Amino acid sequence: MFSDEEVSVFLDELEEKIQVLNENILVLEREGGNQEALQEIFRAAHTIKGSSAVMGYDKMASLTHEIENLLDQLRKGLLPVSGPLVDTLFAALDTLQTLRDEIVGKGVSVDIEQVVAKLREWQEAGPAPASTGAPGAAPGQLNPSAVTSAGMLEEVDEEVIRDAEIKGYQAYWVAVEIDPGCRMKSVRAFLVFETLQQVGEVIKSEPPAEDIQEGRFDTGFRVVLLTREDPDRVRSLLMTVSEVSGVDVTRIKLAEQYPPGKAVPGLREEKAGQAARAEHAEVKTIQTVRVDVQKLDTLMNLVGELVIDRTRLNRFAEIFEERFGAGSGDLVETMNEIASHLGQVAGDLQEQIMKARMLPVAQVFNRFPRMVRDLAQKLGKEVDFIVEGHETELDRNVIEVIGDPLIHLIRNALDHGIEPPEERARLGKARAGVLKLKASYMENHIIITVQDDGRGMDPARLRAKAVEKGLLDREAAERMSDPEALNLIFMPGFSTVTEVSDLSGRGVGMDIVRNHIEQIGGVVEVVSTPGVGTVFTVKLPLTLAIIRALMVELGDEQFAFPLTNVLETISVKPGEIKKVKHNEVILVRGRVLPLVRLSDIFEREDDGDKERLFVVVLGVGEKKIGVIVDKLLGELEIVIKSLGDYLGKVPCLSGATILGDGQVALIVDVRSLVKEIGVEETVYAAG
Amino acid sequence: MAKGENTGGNREDQMVVFQLAEQTYGIDIASVYEIIRMEKITRVPRTPHFVEGVINLRGKIIPVIDLCKRFNLPLAERTGASRIIVVDVAGNTIGMIVDAVSEVLRVPLDSIEPPPPMIHGIESAYLKGIAILDSKLVILLNLEKILYEHEKNELQEFGLETA
Repeated sequence: MFSDEEVSVFLDELEEKIQVLNENILVLEREGGNQEALQEIFRAAHTIKGSSAVMGYDKMASLTHEIENLLDQLRKGLLPVSGPLVDTLFAALDTLQTLRDEIVGKGVSVDIEQVVAKLREWQEAGPAPASTGAPGAAPGQLNPSAVTSAGMLEEVDEEVIRDAEIKGYQAYWVAVEIDPGCRMKSVRAFLVFETLQQVGEVIKSEPPAEDIQEGRFDTGFRVVLLTREDPDRVRSLLMTVSEVSGVDVTRIKLAEQYPPGKAVPGLREEKAGQAARAEHAEVKTIQTVRVDVQKLDTLMNLVGELVIDRTRLNRFAEIFEERFGAGSGDLVETMNEIASHLGQVAGDLQEQIMKARMLPVAQVFNRFPRMVRDLAQKLGKEVDFIVEGHETELDRNVIEVIGDPLIHLIRNALDHGIEPPEERARLGKARAGVLKLKASYMENHIIITVQDDGRGMDPARLRAKAVEKGLLDREAAERMSDPEALNLIFMPGFSTVTEVSDLSGRGVGMDIVRNHIEQIGGVVEVVSTPGVGTVFTVKLPLTLAIIRALMVELGDEQFAFPLTNVLETISVKPGEIKKVKHNEVILVRGRVLPLVRLSDIFEREDDGDKERLFVVVLGVGEKKIGVIVDKLLGELEIVIKSLGDYLGKVPCLSGATILGDGQVALIVDVRSLVKEIGVEETVYAAG
Repeated sequence: MAKGENTGGNREDQMVVFQLAEQTYGIDIASVYEIIRMEKITRVPRTPHFVEGVINLRGKIIPVIDLCKRFNLPLAERTGASRIIVVDVAGNTIGMIVDAVSEVLRVPLDSIEPPPPMIHGIESAYLKGIAILDSKLVILLNLEKILYEHEKNELQEFGLETA
């Protein structure tokens, strides 16, 4: 049997390959027989076949074997890529996924017979029209001025090329055209081979080398050359061979093997001229190791401690200086030096580990194209799904949480946003809607937008709906500005579609989406224009482990408010506080702000009258509250630590952090705090 | 009279023995992680009454409970002898405030007797037994029950209000 670790490595790899298959079958569907995509699919299927056979997962091995066979025919051009064929491939892929679930123990026993039969059917349908357009089988059409030098590479060839690249060689497709009037093609070809052998090594040729050297080719042939020479020199050398009428040298750029999500879109081959510039980047191969996330988390904790110790050392140095002063000048200086160096190293270490925890959002985004395709098909809609910025990196914790809300936003856009093709045509829009998913950085945040050009949302309708559902009284609804009205969709119990569709209306509403996003310190906003479209903007922190916080004092203890929720701080005189029923409020710029005392929430004694009170104004969604504290201490970067399983979830607290002096400060959970005093909200609305 | 060696091949447990409201208690040494001096405890609001707060144990935040409060025993003044016994129970690291830690004792298993239904206001469910060593009565506590049972309910009640 295999160890758990081996199985888990296998499963990770499987997941990765399934993703690669998904992406590339989509490309295949979009672009027909894209050789590059086919190659990727073939390679992925081949890998799965190999490793599943080794691991003893026979069903998976035989399924991938059939997939591979079918792909081989596609690759050779024996079978055209068609819609139904792609559907079969997707069906096979889904079966593969369920087989994976079966291994994990999630699924019931899976029957692969049906899919295998289908795959075989296609294969049998295949070879009949063998004569039609097999690429690479017709080198006679070679025309060096156009870029036709690209051919097929076998996996073995790629291996050889990779090895050679490491040794500093470059691989080129060299296409040679011989004057059609040439009488001694075999001799010319022999000379070409001779010349090439002087500058490098020929590892492959089309047609095969024996055929070429015996003159069994049309007007041209091509070879794969490994060389350290400049491609231009290769070309001019070949041009010296008489009756060679054209030479084209094209750099072979293998698809990057890792990470799959980052594969350079588009060309795997580049014109020779550009090759020289890109050379340095190409030779560099990315080396990676898999690391258990837990280990990274532990490292992060350790660094946190180091940072705290550094702060303590600084303080100690100060005290030391005070106490022993001038008498120990050198010592103090040395100690300060050590402390500051330690600080630098700790800072760098922290940054590097943070980076190690980051993953490209491609991890999440890559799942979407397939989902959008299937959904659009189901809904009978046409859609161009554009994804941008999938290389944007963010903390893996954030990545884990962000998937579901995004799925929901995308589903909504497809289901409610984008109109059916006929309706769009009637409205003078393109039949296919545009759905754009984009990630980008903004300062310390990542911004993800989901944008559609569908029917948009009408604030008036949203108001009416909210009143009808009893979520709002008519007056309050009418007072709302349009942007505020749009935010109604985030209210619990609000859904704009009366009939619940099985796609968007599966019991989760936009309020859940917002909940998810806010739980990780994010913000979601919506802008919509009726008839033009809707944009959802999700703003997320890059990491969850470290946040900037406003530190406040209450009695002799410190509390931290995450800065994302702090709108402003104000100082008020006790006289400015008014009472509405039993609740305290103040007027800020003409609006009523409900107040709570931190000492009440956290059951601390209030040390009575003060001349001035400090109020931290907090915002969650559209709700605002003011929290009265004793003192404002300023901003601080803090490492969030959990209060542990024993205490579990403590109301109004999201964790704790360790301060420079080793003391513990509690972190206020602004969301649950605002929620808790939600009673006052009615006062707010009435006032 | 009874020292561990006298009992020949009989098995024995090592116990950390401490004082709580004038009584002597013991817990299995295997669950004790370390014993530290009293330090400033950050109170955590809205937790069960016996949870004193949290402390920073070398970068880790751990909860600290007051055993006197847990058993509704008379509260003793915190003195220089007060200690926090850090225990590892069921995967959680928890600190317990005690009045003083006296010693580590070897307790032959055959000197442990079943607990009476109630002793010094503590129900027998929370006890492993009592041992009489050198004419001292040592009450052996069942930490798992003490930390998790009933409190668990109380902790959950408090924690109910999750989003």
